[in-house]
Amino acid sequence: MSEEPRIGVFVCHCGLNIAGVIDVEELTEYARTLPNVVFAKRNRYTCADPGQDEIRKAIKEHNLNRVVVAACSPRMHEPTFRRCVAEAGLNPYLFEMANIREFSSWCHPNTPKEATEKAKEIVKMAVAKARLLRGLKTMEVPVTNRALIVGGGIAGISAALDLADMGFKVFLLERGESIGGHMAQLDKTFPTLDCSICIEGPKMVDVSRHPNIEILSYADLLSVEGFVGNFKVRIRKNPRYIIADDCTGCGECRDVCPIEIPNEWDMNMGVRKAISVPFDQAVPLVYTILKDYCIECYKCVDACGARQAINFEQETEEIELEVGAIIVSTGYSIYEPYDDSLYGYGKYDNVITALELERLILAAGPTGGKVVRASDGKKPHRVAIIQCVGSRDVNKYEYCSGFCCMYSVKHAVQLKEKYGDDVEIYILYMDMRTNFKGYEEFYQRARKVGVTFIRGRVSKIIEDPETKNLIIRAEDMTLGEPIELEADLVVLSTASIPNKGTDEMSRILNITRGADGFFMESHPKLKPIDTPTDGIFIAGACQGLKDIPYSVSQGSGAASRAATILSKKTWEIEPIIAVVNPDTCRNTRVKCGICTTKCPYGAIKAPEGEPAVVTAAMCHGCGTCVAECPADAITQMHFTDAQIMAQIQAALAENPNGKILAFLCNWCSYAGADLAGTSRFEYPPTIRAIRVMCSGRVDRDFVMEAFRLGAGMVLVGACHLPFDCHYISGNEKMKVRMETLTKIFEKLGLSPERFRVEYISAAEGVKFAEVINEMTEQMETLGEKKIQAENEKLRPTLERMLSRKKK
Amino acid sequence: MPMKLLKTNMDKEQTIERVLHAKRYALTLDKELCTGCGICEEICPREAIEIKKFPKVEGERVEPPTINIDEQKCHYCGICDPICPFGAIEVKVDGEHLISVLESESFPQFIREIDVDMTRCNLDCVECEEACPLALIKVRVESPDGKEVRDFKSWPDKENLKVVVDVHKDLCPCCRLCELKCPDDAIRVRKMIQGFIKINPERCPEGCQDCLDVCPITGALYHSEDEKVHVNELYCVYCGACKTVCPEEDALELQRTSIRHTPIHSGAWNKALEKLTSTKEMTKELQAKSVKKVKETVEKRLAWRS
Repeated sequence: MSEEPRIGVFVCHCGLNIAGVIDVEELTEYARTLPNVVFAKRNRYTCADPGQDEIRKAIKEHNLNRVVVAACSPRMHEPTFRRCVAEAGLNPYLFEMANIREFSSWCHPNTPKEATEKAKEIVKMAVAKARLLRGLKTMEVPVTNRALIVGGGIAGISAALDLADMGFKVFLLERGESIGGHMAQLDKTFPTLDCSICIEGPKMVDVSRHPNIEILSYADLLSVEGFVGNFKVRIRKNPRYIIADDCTGCGECRDVCPIEIPNEWDMNMGVRKAISVPFDQAVPLVYTILKDYCIECYKCVDACGARQAINFEQETEEIELEVGAIIVSTGYSIYEPYDDSLYGYGKYDNVITALELERLILAAGPTGGKVVRASDGKKPHRVAIIQCVGSRDVNKYEYCSGFCCMYSVKHAVQLKEKYGDDVEIYILYMDMRTNFKGYEEFYQRARKVGVTFIRGRVSKIIEDPETKNLIIRAEDMTLGEPIELEADLVVLSTASIPNKGTDEMSRILNITRGADGFFMESHPKLKPIDTPTDGIFIAGACQGLKDIPYSVSQGSGAASRAATILSKKTWEIEPIIAVVNPDTCRNTRVKCGICTTKCPYGAIKAPEGEPAVVTAAMCHGCGTCVAECPADAITQMHFTDAQIMAQIQAALAENPNGKILAFLCNWCSYAGADLAGTSRFEYPPTIRAIRVMCSGRVDRDFVMEAFRLGAGMVLVGACHLPFDCHYISGNEKMKVRMETLTKIFEKLGLSPERFRVEYISAAEGVKFAEVINEMTEQMETLGEKKIQAENEKLRPTLERMLSRKKK
Repeated sequence: MPMKLLKTNMDKEQTIERVLHAKRYALTLDKELCTGCGICEEICPREAIEIKKFPKVEGERVEPPTINIDEQKCHYCGICDPICPFGAIEVKVDGEHLISVLESESFPQFIREIDVDMTRCNLDCVECEEACPLALIKVRVESPDGKEVRDFKSWPDKENLKVVVDVHKDLCPCCRLCELKCPDDAIRVRKMIQGFIKINPERCPEGCQDCLDVCPITGALYHSEDEKVHVNELYCVYCGACKTVCPEEDALELQRTSIRHTPIHSGAWNKALEKLTSTKEMTKELQAKSVKKVKETVEKRLAWRS
């Protein structure tokens, strides 16, 4: 690159978001003084059309060949501006962003002077990197236009039908025996009181009949490899011991089976046979032998007769699929409050959960639709429904489960409709949340039919040992006094929680979960269906609890998002990949191959005696190999050693002793820092952050260089171990590397608190702010003199160790 | 209500329960009837039954082992109920003695053939009652109108009196002691389990008579002059209680060869039979069954001839 850089800097006001704190005028003036900056301007909203126009205009008029925008987080608008500069004929990778909003104005609102100074340095670092940027060519990969949907609940079903109708082949994977999900378990749906299975059943049948959909039920997801447009998925089909094609679903085998087992579908309140379907409307209507319980009397084989659909020799089968996009719709489970002695669940016979009541009201349920008490089989006359059991509880699940208020109102109305004045219903609640179309009206209907609503929390439930009735002690907040209530039946509206296996799923798919355990969307507002991994989308309650209409909409939304990939012949991949310099690769001379062992994706091959080679389409651009290479022979495009070193030098040019130099991984800790800004958590303006795609990219040389230049503190921010890393295990590789480095520093007399590795998730804005607060305090306690003295002592060793870099 | 798996252990009984909102299963072990023979343990498909031996106290008789049923593992298939030779296990569903494996003919019942020709009985004979080691026989004298007559000696016309012998068949392991003790040849018993048993006295530890201590049938094992335990195969019911306590590997050999049971066509039974007897014996039964089936088919085909 012989061309002299001509950099244009655009400082964004972001309304008052930035300009309200930072002196943008001064910042723009400062930018003009930076080397190679030939143009600097400020705009009210750089991301808006007029702002983008100005960039395009300036590129043409001033012949700019690099652009720096000082505005919000690159996680927000980097793609916007890359597109913008590309439209003006510039290579999109000749653009760099300075995050002065999340990293400065939003987190230092009360110290505008310091915020401005920090913003200047952030721009300086961006310019320093921009000078070394190189244009990169986007790669294109072919797209397999088939989709995999994981989870066959109503969200997955909606997504499957939509994609299939668009003409794409869809594999619908379901862990259970039948698709349908929780909706198929319900009796009626609010607020219309439609029969749930009557409206979902036809959809399930549509799925089974659709020529473009293949249902893979009773099967587990084993692994997912590859990348957007080209996923390789391994699935294990568990044996049903029934030949699906030959089973007619007649049920004659079930009739002769002697073994009864608790039916999980009925919340273990009723039974099913060891050969059976969980419910009559199951799709696919294929029976299953539950081998754990079967005594192998083979009566079913006799009953099946000439159809010969039973095969006790069936084995697990593993299949491999190639798909272009994946939709995850794995749903939720129900919290069973065994561990909360307050409610006596599991101890008192007549305390049940709402889902158990649902199965009792259902005509096809274990009691044939009779709501009866377990203790005496009699109909209850006084039913108390208790809200927020586990939900909105700081000791349990902090979030609101969302749909419990509505289903409890529904249960109350249903019981009233069924038994009229013969039953009294009390709902004990904290707040009634009825905030969607038709919901408030439904709540009013419940009030009209005579349901008693009591606002207050339950303090204790005691069972009368004689009658097995329950005495509820609670507080009536309206009356402002404690009350006591005797009920025949207590129904607990328990929290809904992430589904069993969500953690394993997040590991297999490499997608993150929030603090509540549900899958994290890419952006809470603008990308609610996307995940950070391109080509993987989320729909339904697995992302956060939601009711049926919302899940259906998200299913359709995910289908349309997936179609944006599936409808293309090729997909562009960011060229931020690793490249090996064959001339310096040691593998030609000695047996090295370190990179091949460190690559989390197995994208590098190093045949003996030949230089290592990276398979571009498999490389995800984490940079772990780059940091590990002992010969510095690997370069990560757009995050080169030279670029990062330039950033470090820019950040530490002035007053290095009073600064925390941080390397933050793009997906977790950088996002966590962004969140600290978005949440307006204040912390001292001591940190200067360098974004890397993965903490695995953080070379030991970077840390040493920072201390050589006199940094006060160094922080490496990574995703949580062991599974949060977006590049499978980059954080683990970083951990090992930094542990040895810590030992070296220890020997050299560095105060241990000065070098820190911290695991901060995208949801932990608070933690990020706390870490910076703590480190700043530690830095102040150590004092400049001590830091300087330590650095002086360190410098000769570091210079010696870094000398090879100079060459 | 969520499912509950309960267990109550009392002196004379162990009960496990599976309580569902809509159904209740219970399995009761009568510890007084249980001999710890271990047949149930062998055939339980869920491995929910475990033999519990009592520690041996020096110089005292060894206690017969008992069984422990794991309420977490049991799934109430009920095959232990009919297979217990001593009738010690009872499975109930919603309070009723209901064995679904019997209803569906997935498991057979023992054929207990105990015929008593009461016309041969003498009025004053209670030999069988006294002989029964399990106290399952009750002998009484009845008048023509069916009333029990206690003082039959002063009854005017003794010819009208008859002897009634009540045998609690469900609990009878068919040891034949009553048959052999009967002076009037009035009882015929066929063993429901056939087999062979052998003690190798040279392998027996000095002074050990654990097998004899636990044997539920008086006289099936006996102590002879050589201070060793010997077998009288005439009475042995092949339950295997002796085998469970025998401390030496091959001091006691027990092999069941056949089991008399109601006709059955079930894989579960074949498996149980194989475990209780041997693969060879199981195959024999299967062959017999298939021969019978072929015979029936041929007869059906040739029916026009007759």
